[in-house]
Amino acid sequence: MAEGVRVRLRLNGEDREFWVPPGRRLLDLVREDAGLTGTKEGCGAGECGACTVLLNGRPVTSCLVLAASCDGAEVVTVEGLAAATGEPHPVQRAFVEAGGVQCGFCTPGVAVSGAAIVARGVRDAAERARLLSGNLCRCTGYLAVLEALERAGEASDGEA
Amino acid sequence: MDLPIRRLLRPRDPQEAVELLARHPGALPVAGGTDLVVQLRRGKLAADTLVDLGGLGLAGIAEGAEGLEIGAATTMDTIAADARVRAGWPALAQAASQVGAWPIQCRATLGGNLANASPAADTAPPLLIADARLRLLSCRGSRTVPAAEFFAGPGRTVRAPDEIILSVLLPPRRLGPHATAHERFAKVGPRREQIISVVSLAARIVVQSDGSVGEVALAVGSVAPTPRRARRAEEVLEGCRLTGAVRREAVAALEEELAPIDDVRAPAWYRRVAAAVLLDRFLAEVAGG
Repeated sequence: MAEGVRVRLRLNGEDREFWVPPGRRLLDLVREDAGLTGTKEGCGAGECGACTVLLNGRPVTSCLVLAASCDGAEVVTVEGLAAATGEPHPVQRAFVEAGGVQCGFCTPGVAVSGAAIVARGVRDAAERARLLSGNLCRCTGYLAVLEALERAGEASDGEA
Repeated sequence: MDLPIRRLLRPRDPQEAVELLARHPGALPVAGGTDLVVQLRRGKLAADTLVDLGGLGLAGIAEGAEGLEIGAATTMDTIAADARVRAGWPALAQAASQVGAWPIQCRATLGGNLANASPAADTAPPLLIADARLRLLSCRGSRTVPAAEFFAGPGRTVRAPDEIILSVLLPPRRLGPHATAHERFAKVGPRREQIISVVSLAARIVVQSDGSVGEVALAVGSVAPTPRRARRAEEVLEGCRLTGAVRREAVAALEEELAPIDDVRAPAWYRRVAAAVLLDRFLAEVAGG
C-alpha cells in the first residue's frame, strides 16, 4: 500500500487539507477529492490545456502536476475565477459577449489561461495568441476567443 | 489516474535531497514533472519512489563574479522574462519561450530540461554556445561539469542517479569596442508552439568593426545523439568576412558534420536540410545587418 501524503492548499480562496496517494495528479485532486469538475481532462499529456489551473497565480496543466508537490500552494480553478459575490470574472463575461464558447470542453482551461493573460496586462494581440497556444479548441477557430480576451483586457484596463 | 509510485519524498534542502536519493536506489528526482509524469504514465520510466526537488530553494536567477547563475528549479517562464537573460543570453530566453506552451513554461524547469537529455532539449544549444557549466551535488560533494560534457546520449547524461543539478552558470560575456553581437535561437517543427523540435540552432556571432567574424559559436539540437556544437562550421567562419562563398562553405560544413536519424517527427534528410536553412538564414541576417 502506498503511503498517503498530506497536501494543504488554498483552493479557490479557501484553506483545504487533503490526504492523497503519492502519485495523485493535481487534476485528480481537484476533480475527485475536491469535487470541482469544471476542470477537464483532455489529452492527459500536457498538450491540450483543458486541465489548466492557476498554481500560485500562473497557469499550469494540472494533468502533469503531482498534487503532493503543491503542498502550501495557492490553486485557482475555473470555479474560483468569479468573485465571491457570484459576479463573473471579466474574462467569463467577455466570453459570453463575444460568443467564445461552442462545445465548451476547452472553455474552463481557456478561461483560466485567459484570466492569467488579462492579469499580466498583455496588450499585444500576437503575444495574447502565443500565451493561449497551449489551449487547444477544435470548434471556435479561436477568433471569438481572442476577441473575448481583448475585450476582457480593455475592461480590466478601464477598472485599473 | 494516479501515477504508479509508492512514495513521494519532499526534502527541504539540497543535502537532504541527495541523501534520500542515495538511500533509495532507483528513486527518481522530480522537479516540474512536465516530462517525467508523461514518461511514468506511459511506462517509459518506472520508479517506486520520487524525490521532489521543488522545495529546495533552487529557483531563481542571481548575478555573481562567475557570471549569471540560474537555479535548476527556475521555470522557463521566469527565464524567458528575465531582463538579464534577455540582454546577455538572448538565445536562451528565446528557447525558454518556445518550450511547450505557456502552461508548460510556467512549470517546466531548466534543470529538468537538461537532466532529461532529449537530443531535442531546447535550452541545451543556447547553453552550449554560452560555454555554460552545471553545478551538481551528491553525497560525495559538489562538482562542476561543462554543458558540452554533460550529455552522454539520448536520455543519458553524466549525472549519477543520486546526484542533482543545483544550477547553471553562464560565464560573463565581454564585447570589445566597435564589435556587434548577433545571437539567435531558432527551431523548426510542424507548429510554432507546443512542439518538440525537429531541428534547432543556437547561434552567436560577434562581428568586428572591420566586418570580420571575431567570435562564433553554433550549436544544434535534434541532429545528433546529443545537442552539440557545430565546430567545423565554426572553423569555416572564424576570422572571415561573411561573403556569399564563406556562408555557403559554412552551411556545407554544417551539413557534413551532422548525424541525424529518421524518426516519427522527421526523416534524417529533412533534418539536414532544415539545419542548413536555419544557419543560412542566420548568416544572411548577420551579413545584412
